[in-house]
Amino acid sequence: MARSSVITQPLSRRRLLKGGAALGIGSAAALGLRPAWADPWGQTNVYAKGVEEGPEVALAIRRESLEIDGQAARPYTINGESPGPMIRLKEGQDAVLRVTNLLDEPTSIHWHGLILPPDQDGVPGVSFAGIAPGETFTYRFPVRQNGTYWYHSHSGLQEQLGHAGPLIIDAAEREPFRYDREHVLLLTDWTFEDPMAVFRNLKTAEGYYNFQERTIGDFFADVREKGFAATAEMRGMWAKMRMSSRDIADVTGSTYTYLLNGHSPEENWTALFKAGERIRLRVINGSAMSYFDVRIPGLKMTVVAADGQPVQPVPVDEFRIGVAETYDVLVAPEDDTAYTIFAESMDRSGYARATLAPREGMAAEIPERRRIADRGMEAMGAHGMDHSSMSDSDMEGMDHSNMSGDDREGMDHSEMDHGGSMARESAKTRGNGMLAAGEAQPGSRYDQAGIGIDPNARRTLVYRDLKAFTPWPDRREPGRELELHLTGNMERYMWSFDGKTFSEVTGPIHFEKDERLRLILVNDTMMEHPIHLHGMWMELENGQGELIPRKHTLNIKPGERVSALITADAEGSWAFHCHLLYHMDAGMFRVVKVA
Amino acid sequence: MRKSLLAITLCLAATSALAAGEHGGSHATAPDAEVDRTIQVEAGDMWFDPETLGITAGETVRFKVVNTGNLKHEFVIGDAAAQEAHREMMQAMGDSGHGDGHDGHGGHDMAEGAHGGEMPAVTIAPGDTAELVWTAPADVESLVYACNIPGHSESGMVGEIQLGK
Repeated sequence: MARSSVITQPLSRRRLLKGGAALGIGSAAALGLRPAWADPWGQTNVYAKGVEEGPEVALAIRRESLEIDGQAARPYTINGESPGPMIRLKEGQDAVLRVTNLLDEPTSIHWHGLILPPDQDGVPGVSFAGIAPGETFTYRFPVRQNGTYWYHSHSGLQEQLGHAGPLIIDAAEREPFRYDREHVLLLTDWTFEDPMAVFRNLKTAEGYYNFQERTIGDFFADVREKGFAATAEMRGMWAKMRMSSRDIADVTGSTYTYLLNGHSPEENWTALFKAGERIRLRVINGSAMSYFDVRIPGLKMTVVAADGQPVQPVPVDEFRIGVAETYDVLVAPEDDTAYTIFAESMDRSGYARATLAPREGMAAEIPERRRIADRGMEAMGAHGMDHSSMSDSDMEGMDHSNMSGDDREGMDHSEMDHGGSMARESAKTRGNGMLAAGEAQPGSRYDQAGIGIDPNARRTLVYRDLKAFTPWPDRREPGRELELHLTGNMERYMWSFDGKTFSEVTGPIHFEKDERLRLILVNDTMMEHPIHLHGMWMELENGQGELIPRKHTLNIKPGERVSALITADAEGSWAFHCHLLYHMDAGMFRVVKVA
Repeated sequence: MRKSLLAITLCLAATSALAAGEHGGSHATAPDAEVDRTIQVEAGDMWFDPETLGITAGETVRFKVVNTGNLKHEFVIGDAAAQEAHREMMQAMGDSGHGDGHDGHGGHDMAEGAHGGEMPAVTIAPGDTAELVWTAPADVESLVYACNIPGHSESGMVGEIQLGK
């Protein structure tokens, strides 16, 4: 408890000197000076790292010594905090965000999920030149949306070391839910290693952070369960692909400390409530590499927004949040007791944790972590394919071990014979052979939360649940389909689209100005990829017809085929990439040019 | 089917047992003489206006519920425990057709109330108005009105009826 008292005293000399404007209502509440009990519209907030109110905000970027989880660290800081303060804007404002680079290297800030002019998007080399040391760049854009978003550096690997923060936009009109109080929950994965060293480790030794490989003990357990032949065959298949069935995440809790609002599980950041209140939790996954499964034992959570956009409410017990996604959930604790906010990393190597409590200094039981899951056979390029009928020759197509160093196709399985998997045609095909807008593609698995989730254990959010209130403005059917494969060479840690890394492609992907197109993403790899398009929404075709939800980041599960409709109304050049930081850096990045 | 269910519900709801409503219509569901007053309630996405009601015990009220939202809503009167039981039932029904919680809930208007009876309820399509005639009981201090379609009351479609003497 001594520790938690430290973090509830945010009015430090540092804060006074460096983050004067960050003296938000949250810190006052934490000090107990003025309880921030909500007004009827729930405009109070508590976020651990201060608040910068718009429309005019000044942010100073530094690299400095700051304790993280009680240990000496040198994160990137924004106005003296790491992760940075919450920026709060209002729909309809003209935002003016001045970012001053006090580093000895270039930096940038990207406003994740915001629809804005291409030169304000903050991606060095795509939208602007970046912010040089000593320079101040002033971002100006009209705020034309509302909801829960975030911001982060788009320069090198800076984001890994805390160069990120929440970006909340208050709605101009009444939102489709009511609440008494809100809290922002920013999830990040911190490492005390140099991110360049992490990247080198990944490149030189795939599985470097993966200490959960199957062991000889597991082998005998499998033999008991499945028999020797099946076990040996399964092992053989994984070995052929130079992969492990336990490659759930590249970078794991062996180096990561998972943080919630910048605080470790032991520090136990506390979000306050009064029994009987309805509380909005704005959950942001600002991690570099980590997916989380979030739950609050004892409380039902009602999902009311995804990626900042309102969705028809879905009561759940748990939800998986991919890197860069955001979800808004409502909870209504009726008892004057503490609840654990538990965010377990998808690979089960660790967790972030906070406490929802009526008073400071309380704690509830921390749930037992689930065991690591094995990648099932569905991960092996399961584009709606039945694996039981997979012959040996099919498997040969997935043998990556004989790929030469010059094989630029990487793990591109597009040549693979999918054995009639596409024959499972939907009845809703249009005359031109394309599916009607909003229909789920064959090979999608929108009714599954993903690896390591037992659908019978608790009610878990799935993409199929996400449903808009009203149709989005552009009701046109797609004029064309653009199919991109997510590809990778695990062993050399090369990640790419269509087998080509960013450095290997000659030009951008072209969208015709104002066209309506369908983007089909086929994951040929064995890992989840959160794919983010800048500048335009992606309407996820999850089978909800005209009420499909729109998102800025789509989680594509291994072997899955996912589609989204895009209205290419944002002229200019935009980044399009996997939001796993090291995958992006390794080449899973493209520029989309709308002209 | 829905119309007849609604009519049955209204019959059960109205103390006069003369009620016969038509879905979406604004026909009188009880003779005016039996109704002490009419209360208009707006059901939006996801709220009721007003958020609290004060009703005298024994008073017979005609609720005129207008759905101004984009989704189907319901207006159910009961105590908090019965409402919770109703929600759980609807969630279970919705989950059987995974992820379709908003559509798979036929027949729920006959929600079981805490005292063995049914809770008065109407379901209102977007843009429609439905009526419910109800006499406030004398033996409780407060009741809850809610929309128990999964997620709706959790999002704020819930209000309190203070029953004064």
